Amino acid sequence: MSYMPGVCTFCGTGCGHYLKVDGTSVQGVFPSRVHPVSKGRLCVRGWNIHELLSTQERIIRPYVKDSGQVSYKDAIAKLVSALSLYKPEEIAFYASPRSSNEDNFALMKLARLVFKTNNISLQAESGHRNSLDVLYNGTGFAGMLGSLEDIRKAEVLIVAGMDITTQNPIIGSELHYAARSGSLLITIDSRMTKIAKLSKKFINCKPGTMRMVFDAIAYYIDKQQWGDTKSAHYEEYKKYLATVPFDSIEKETGVLPAEVAFVAERLIKAKSAAVFFSSGISGLSYDTVASIYNLFALAGKIGKEGCGVNPIAGINNLQGSFDMGCAPDLLTGYQSIDDATSKKKFEKKWGQELPTFKGKTVEQLLSDSSSPLKALVIVDHDDGIVKYADRLKSLPFVAYIGAFTNKVVDFAHVVLPITTYIETDGTFTNTERRVQLASQKCAPAFDVMPMWKLIDAIAEAKSIPFNYKSASDVMDEIASLTPAYEGISYTLLSKKHGVQWPCTKKNHDGTKYCVPEKVSFVLPHKPYAAVQATQEYPYLLMLGKAQHYWHQNNIMHKTFIPLREYNATLLLYPDGYVAIAPEDAKQIGVRDRWPVKVVAEKASMKAMVMISDDVAPGTAYVPYFIREGIASFLLAYSDIVSQGEEATIPVRIEKV
Amino acid sequence: MYLIKKNDVKKIAKALEEKYTLYGPYLDEAFGQCFFDKVSADNIDLNAPIPANPPKHVVFPHLETIMQYKYDKNAKKADIAMVFDDVPKALFGLRSCDLTGLQCIDRFFLGQEFVDEVYRHHRSRMFIVANTCVVPFKQCFCVCTDSGPAAQEGYDLNLTDLGDSYLLEVGSEKGKAFIESFNFPKATQEHVTQKQKLVEKSITMFEDIATESKAWVSRVMNRVTTGFIKEEVWEYIGNQCIECGACSYVCPTCTCFNINDANTIAGNTERLRTWDSCSYEGYSRMAGGHNPRKPIEDRRNKRFFCKLSYSQSKKYLRPGCVGCGRCAWVCPGDIGLPNVVTYIRREIHE
Amino acid sequence: MSEQKIVTVPEIATIEEIKDEIVDVKTFYLRFDNKEIDGNFTFKSGQFIMCTVFGAGEFAVSLPPSPENDRFHITVRRIGKVTNALHDLQVGDKVGIRGPFGNGFPFEEIKGKNVIYVAGGIGLIPLRSSIVHVLQHRNDFGRILLLYGSRSPQDLMYQYMLEQWQKIEGFETFITVDNGTPEWKGNVGIITTLFDKVEIPVENTVAFVCGPPVMFNAVIKELMQRGIKDDMIISTLERHMKCGVGKCQHCAIGRTLVCTDGPVYTYRQIKTLGEQI
Repeated sequence: MSYMPGVCTFCGTGCGHYLKVDGTSVQGVFPSRVHPVSKGRLCVRGWNIHELLSTQERIIRPYVKDSGQVSYKDAIAKLVSALSLYKPEEIAFYASPRSSNEDNFALMKLARLVFKTNNISLQAESGHRNSLDVLYNGTGFAGMLGSLEDIRKAEVLIVAGMDITTQNPIIGSELHYAARSGSLLITIDSRMTKIAKLSKKFINCKPGTMRMVFDAIAYYIDKQQWGDTKSAHYEEYKKYLATVPFDSIEKETGVLPAEVAFVAERLIKAKSAAVFFSSGISGLSYDTVASIYNLFALAGKIGKEGCGVNPIAGINNLQGSFDMGCAPDLLTGYQSIDDATSKKKFEKKWGQELPTFKGKTVEQLLSDSSSPLKALVIVDHDDGIVKYADRLKSLPFVAYIGAFTNKVVDFAHVVLPITTYIETDGTFTNTERRVQLASQKCAPAFDVMPMWKLIDAIAEAKSIPFNYKSASDVMDEIASLTPAYEGISYTLLSKKHGVQWPCTKKNHDGTKYCVPEKVSFVLPHKPYAAVQATQEYPYLLMLGKAQHYWHQNNIMHKTFIPLREYNATLLLYPDGYVAIAPEDAKQIGVRDRWPVKVVAEKASMKAMVMISDDVAPGTAYVPYFIREGIASFLLAYSDIVSQGEEATIPVRIEKV
Repeated sequence: MYLIKKNDVKKIAKALEEKYTLYGPYLDEAFGQCFFDKVSADNIDLNAPIPANPPKHVVFPHLETIMQYKYDKNAKKADIAMVFDDVPKALFGLRSCDLTGLQCIDRFFLGQEFVDEVYRHHRSRMFIVANTCVVPFKQCFCVCTDSGPAAQEGYDLNLTDLGDSYLLEVGSEKGKAFIESFNFPKATQEHVTQKQKLVEKSITMFEDIATESKAWVSRVMNRVTTGFIKEEVWEYIGNQCIECGACSYVCPTCTCFNINDANTIAGNTERLRTWDSCSYEGYSRMAGGHNPRKPIEDRRNKRFFCKLSYSQSKKYLRPGCVGCGRCAWVCPGDIGLPNVVTYIRREIHE
Repeated sequence: MSEQKIVTVPEIATIEEIKDEIVDVKTFYLRFDNKEIDGNFTFKSGQFIMCTVFGAGEFAVSLPPSPENDRFHITVRRIGKVTNALHDLQVGDKVGIRGPFGNGFPFEEIKGKNVIYVAGGIGLIPLRSSIVHVLQHRNDFGRILLLYGSRSPQDLMYQYMLEQWQKIEGFETFITVDNGTPEWKGNVGIITTLFDKVEIPVENTVAFVCGPPVMFNAVIKELMQRGIKDDMIISTLERHMKCGVGKCQHCAIGRTLVCTDGPVYTYRQIKTLGEQI
């Protein structure tokens, strides 16, 4: 009886699985048939997760530069004494969206309470934060409004610019299932993706025009007076909609007015509708998320069963990490640190004052060469951070906390190993706010500590012990400080496949779909600025992800099958690829796999051509996985890249 | 043939447990999912639904070390040792489809030009107790593939639930020798008739997709073998595939594997054999980058060719599909084998 | 003669000599450490072995015509993780060998025929063993031709052998490169351009073809147009291989497995495999 239930820790879907554990090694994996989200399915990553969990590429001993392998005690002492040299503004914590809620909460507490800094952030910051900000401002809920379980209940499903069958395959599968059983599945994208092929209607918009398409649909609904005008800020929203260039919508976006009308009509007619868009690294800008949200608010598709504005997180605990306050301005459950009541609550519970200075994200601190950053603590990070190699090398102190070996380790002065997810208890909050408990399945394979315990030991070395006896204690503290998590405890979670927050003491079943007390329209920050192709740069370059390059994944390298699948395209196109349409290839005079130079105004990169029917003529597509050429190209455009799926850069493609 | 009391079943399991590592169906404590795995006699649940996982992993684990070696670069010395698992295993309460699947793998791993030594060791000294399905499960279509609901051969003992007692049939010398000492009362022809009636009744209880597909499976096999299936059908099927590999992983007869060498912290290397699936893009890609089977529809087509074509049937001495229906419920698309039959059938109609 | 096969546990062999061929291609001369095997390792031209590079993995590679001085060699292109690791090895290092596997070339069946070899790039590696065999048994065959093309003069395999071969009477060799260099005096143009320059026997002729898929298809077309029958066109196919003994199924093409049924096929067989090659 060695199959033990758990939660897949690859992406934000949070599928249920069973791991076949023998001693301390994981021999296999099997999907959970009764899990409400995954219902017996897993994707290629999930089906091979045991390869990662049984890898020997682990960090097994604490390490201090110059001293080599040392005891935990010595390594912690070194970390504490090093961090004590710097002012709070000079210290930063880089949390991981893969850590459990307990681990991230402990880290957040360590940063704020022990080292008095607000410089704590996550990788993959911007995209999901944009979604959370919009949804919070509009409804008061900082999370997906609908539910994955409800997908089959929606009459209309819209996928907005997301390659969902590769990014979150099981959600893609649910959408496909719903479409087969009668829901109208619409994909709005600049690229022909698999979900587009499975959709009843595919609307192909020009890159970077998604916001305008959604606004045009809202404009049409408003013009027909079909919309729900009772929500707050309607007048301002109406004024904004007047700026939509509806008469020239085809020219601007490539979408026909009839298509806009079709979506508008079906959206209004349907009893329920949900929209899915990517969040995280490849997420959308604040304004685009606002446009999507506003359309659904106008169509009256918020706060009802089967409805939802649903940002989909690419990483398993991205939602939970924000819930745990791993952001410069947030405490747990989206409570603002600037809010005196919330802050006081934490101070009272923790018995000390919290820092008041405005924190910055680690990305901000690393990319700004004049920032005061001196010491950085990095948790379980992908190789992506290596793009700041020079800055990292120049920092007086870097610490790394993680379970697996990693290139980031080379930069660290102190390395502290931790357990993997099977070796300790922990909860993970998936993209639909479902807090799931993954119980410990075996003793640690090596003599290493769970992260929550390690963090406590660090705090204790600074004489502010947290006194956690178990991960469950940490959750109890989270619940006591976080209204949305109020009813959650390990006792509750151990009997369930998770519970969706808000979960109060009165409502132990959680909340399937969020019903806001008040719905407000969310006004965009900036006017339209669609990027146009020019004579000099005739192609619009899109950036995105492909399944197996899944967020530049360091952990993939520790597997066999996922690694091979990752390598499949990578080896075919060893310098990365740029996908273009066959007719464009003809015009440029290149064939598949020929090398080309992609030239933009600020930078250029070398890549191989992939000829694909999936991209429309006049556009090009580059998956951003780590290849030096592409990484440096992206760095030059980091402001644009941060727009995620919408990032569009006009380029020309030269034959070499 | 014996007629045994219901609680005698546990007696048999307990006796097997003494000599063998016991595998059988049990319900997971937390959420009630049925698995076929190592289990104590007390926890075996013969009434549990068909296990989520086929018993394939007992003889062909998801991940397994098949060889260990240590290479000393300085001394230029290599020590190589194969790793075999020949612990005697008893599979208790195997459903007919899974037993058929095991026989298919046997013929493939043991009956070809080369014998797979790793598999042979797993399979040697195995005791098999089958369990007749007097009630089919929702997903089952073994009636279409001639692999159930009652096992015909390949078992040492076979159990059939007659309601108040079990009919115990002996299928091998090994089974006979083992069961003799129990001195169970002998069963009569009447009991055999009773079993036959139950099996016949069971056959009428299958879901529509199974009963409707019955004749179609063989017709589709013919089509798949001769290649008379339109490209569009494969494309339609391929479009629904998200390349998760699940169908291969849960299939009782899929045996594709991958081999990788992994270096351990202790400084030696383990040659690992892991399950693989023909739906993966990297499966047929060569080191140079050439991939003869790049489009997804070509890869899907390959799997159904493997399950349904006559040339593959020659290897297994039967169709490669045993009608367990697992591929249908793990598929994120809608291309479990019964549905593929339906799609091809639809095309034939058109 | 009973053929000894190393099926399960790799036998350890020592690298005795490493020869650079072209960029990223090296030939490794190997000898088994086990003296009993060392003298008795026999194989047919066209067969292949599985070679373990310790700590990296195992890969399939075609074998030379026959062992020379009890040692044998493999010519390997640096292309993936394992072949990369092999290229980093030095003389004296050990590798593991399993095999020989596969069917080998059908020399008995083609006795008395004219033989045309058409090779592209490193496609000459597997054909080399056949060429050497046929030259050794020169009297068993009619005309012998080699049409060999590569991307550039630097990419021509076995240049020292090519020079030798060109001197052999009764061995008609024609070489072409896609892109010439100022020093290159020979033919320039893709391999099919040779077909217009060479008088090719058609009757009683067998053709061996090996090269990248694009070249393969073009050459087959040329040969068929000239009237060479599909069962007289022989090729060795390459596939992703993991086990070598027909179990892992990676090398399946339609209903055949390249490792046990191949790697040598006639074009008639290839056509009916039902898959791209």
